[in-house]
Amino acid sequence: MIRQCSEEGRLISEDEILVCAANQRLLSSPPADRSEEVKNILNSIAKKSGDVHKLIAQDGTRRFYSSQFMTEAYAMILLQKQGDPLQLIAEIVRQNSKVYPRPVPLDIFTRPPFDLAEQEIMDHIKQMATDKAYCDIGLITTSTSRDFLYSALHLEPAHASLLAEWLDAGRANNP
Amino acid sequence: MAKYGGWSGKILHIDLSNNRIWTEDTIEHYKDYLGGTGIGYKVMWDEVPARTKPYDPENRIIFAVGPLAGTGAPCNGRTAITTLWPTCSPLPLVATGHMGGQFAAKLKYAGYDAVIIKGKAAHPVWISIVDQKVDIQDARRLWGEGIRSTTMAISQIMGPEAVVASIGQAGENLVPMSVVMNSVSHSAGGIGSVMGSKNLKAIGVIGTGVVRIAGNKEDWEKLIKYHLSLLGANNQHVVPNSPQPWAEFYDANTRWVGAKGRTWGANARPIETGTCEPHNLNRIAYRTNNAAFFMGDIAWQYTVRGNGCTSCPIRCHTLVKVPSVAMKYGISEVGQNTCSGLNFGRSFFKKFPDGPKGMTNVEASMVGMYLADDLGVWCNYGQMQRDFQKLYYEGIIEKKLGSKEFKSYSWKKYEKGDPSFLFELFPKIASKEGELGTVLGLGTGYLLERWSISEKEWGKDKELSYWKMGHPKHHSTEEAGQCGLLINMQYNRDSQCHSHINVIRNGLPLEIQKNLAAEIWGSPKAIDAVAAYTPMHRSKAKMAKWSVLRKELHDSLSLCNWMGPWIASPLKERGYRGDDSIESMLYSLATGDKKDRQELDAVAERIFLLHRAITIRDMGTKEMRTKHDIAPDWAFTDSSGKPPFTKGTLHLDRKDASTAVDMFYDEMGWDRVTGAPTAGTYRKFGLSKIAEELGRRNLLPGA
Repeated sequence: MIRQCSEEGRLISEDEILVCAANQRLLSSPPADRSEEVKNILNSIAKKSGDVHKLIAQDGTRRFYSSQFMTEAYAMILLQKQGDPLQLIAEIVRQNSKVYPRPVPLDIFTRPPFDLAEQEIMDHIKQMATDKAYCDIGLITTSTSRDFLYSALHLEPAHASLLAEWLDAGRANNP
Repeated sequence: MAKYGGWSGKILHIDLSNNRIWTEDTIEHYKDYLGGTGIGYKVMWDEVPARTKPYDPENRIIFAVGPLAGTGAPCNGRTAITTLWPTCSPLPLVATGHMGGQFAAKLKYAGYDAVIIKGKAAHPVWISIVDQKVDIQDARRLWGEGIRSTTMAISQIMGPEAVVASIGQAGENLVPMSVVMNSVSHSAGGIGSVMGSKNLKAIGVIGTGVVRIAGNKEDWEKLIKYHLSLLGANNQHVVPNSPQPWAEFYDANTRWVGAKGRTWGANARPIETGTCEPHNLNRIAYRTNNAAFFMGDIAWQYTVRGNGCTSCPIRCHTLVKVPSVAMKYGISEVGQNTCSGLNFGRSFFKKFPDGPKGMTNVEASMVGMYLADDLGVWCNYGQMQRDFQKLYYEGIIEKKLGSKEFKSYSWKKYEKGDPSFLFELFPKIASKEGELGTVLGLGTGYLLERWSISEKEWGKDKELSYWKMGHPKHHSTEEAGQCGLLINMQYNRDSQCHSHINVIRNGLPLEIQKNLAAEIWGSPKAIDAVAAYTPMHRSKAKMAKWSVLRKELHDSLSLCNWMGPWIASPLKERGYRGDDSIESMLYSLATGDKKDRQELDAVAERIFLLHRAITIRDMGTKEMRTKHDIAPDWAFTDSSGKPPFTKGTLHLDRKDASTAVDMFYDEMGWDRVTGAPTAGTYRKFGLSKIAEELGRRNLLPGA
């Protein structure tokens, strides 16, 4: 189940596993104890198998994925997506600014696996601008009116601004 | 059985002045130069005297391929075409153009490693090659026709299995900015008018032979699969452009655009590209869609499929079908090309009424392909369009054209971004009609000269991307710092080198790129983050040398330098390493001539050294450092006034650049003062006779 979901690009929750296992009559205990039994089985699988991993969501519930089919990076995006979208956007932006380093075009959040609506994204950006927790996140608009985000923790504003222009217009003119 | 595999074994010579056709042995004369540009440069040194002009009958045009063309090696569809370059200013010098498609393989199957053409036919002709049967055919009926109808006409004569490389009206009319094109969309710029000057309209090839592989069949198949496993998307971008379940990294700027939900919408049965997991070698062709990459998501619905060269799974020529353009512009609803070809029409315009990625940008691309790929007009890597925009918006066109000619163009249409404007412009370029049509067809160098514009002024404008000698930069200082600077100094046209940029743009995090750099060039300092450049370091000179040599190696083996080298891969289990020895492994197994990486790089160095020697001989000076290896002012200036090496700037420091040149010359064994290779360096690479000849001409350093 875990591997199949990962192959499909989804995380699977403990509750989903419980329902599936019950439907397939894989559990031996009486109904009241099933949750505990699944938890033990999953703990055991996570320990023994090389590829099954668990993640704890913001609400404390657990999600599972198989690294045979899904990377930790992708699983973390899916996990954060189920939580606070502001934090998701900020984490993606900070990671890109730190690791590559580069600003992130806003339109990437309209695509899978983020799938946020344009207006939703703009609302989140406005919210972030007034929240101290996201004071490092900056917005850049290029000469072709494309918006990019960067984190000042890892990218200087002038560097981010030039990179955004380069990524948007410069590279397109230099194929 | 021939001693070596890989090569077909024969070079085909054709003298159009007297209809003489003969062959010579490839191995005996050219093995030390591999093929492709190696053969091209050797012929230019041996047979074309200094100061020959591009359109002189004595100039040669050399269509050459390498030992890997026509084999199963991935990305082997490249034909290198060497000649004196008509857009190289102020003095035409040796250069090469490269076309993909099916021509390279067909030439090998016909039994030839190269076709060397000299002379000038008494009237328009085309060359028919059907294995050993080679004929010069009358082309008077085809003269005046476009590339598409010429290809069709010759295919009807030879049969559907023929591959036709043809020029359009631009080449016939001796427009320097013209191409030769095979297989409908695969062009080599700068060549068309040289063919036209020889009254040569086209070459049609049918080959029914095979290319023999010297090595064991199982080993060969294993090597091919290994090579395939290291491939990324077009330009060896090794990470997808959006997060994928299998991917640790992503980069919104890579050409790996295939993903779940992205569909070739104009296929008879729409095909979803899927997640393109890198271990699935049968899905490599779904990774790249250059129409969508350049024109935006709107292009997915018009995509039929990817198309491309022999034995290449990348399919970088996207085939698109846009029914509305047939009604609106009266042109074919189907078109195909890759980056510069897709951008040809759209890049003339500053803006479109519906934004940069709307329907009008698709229409402009279609109109541009329809016209340029039939008339055979060349864009000089987008320089024609950049020149055009600057000349128009700064009022230079209006000033230089007579009022009558200026008013004959629909400038309002142009400013609005109406693609129908291209119907006014392109035919005039192809036929040298009027002052504007004529100057645009000259190429930048001769355009500036004709209109008394200073080349230095042109080189101050960063947005123009003009580099030197009539040509633009090709991945230079702006994204590759000193390495880009050194590479772009070397050639007599735009450098066309992708060895370095296929690493820099591959999409991997900087730390991984630096680790790869340390392994290959001895230090992580070889690579900087873009716009965060650091002072010169020896490893950057090593990277520049490696980049140039791998370009020459690819151009000589017939591997695509728009894809290789393969020092990075999409494979996490390999730490994203590729394999820097792929070329030598393929070469050794295909030919049976065992050479390791360093030995094969040494052959590439011999080839590049030959290019340098011809350039020195034909320029008549050894002062390459001051007269050839130059860069425009924009590479050293920044409008903000910030000093070089400040984060967020792209410019370099002149003193540091001079150090970079010193280090590069040291790596190459060239004299620091003049930039000319020393006699010892020529001798080291088996070019003693060339050293002697240059010595006699006082073109060696220290003489």
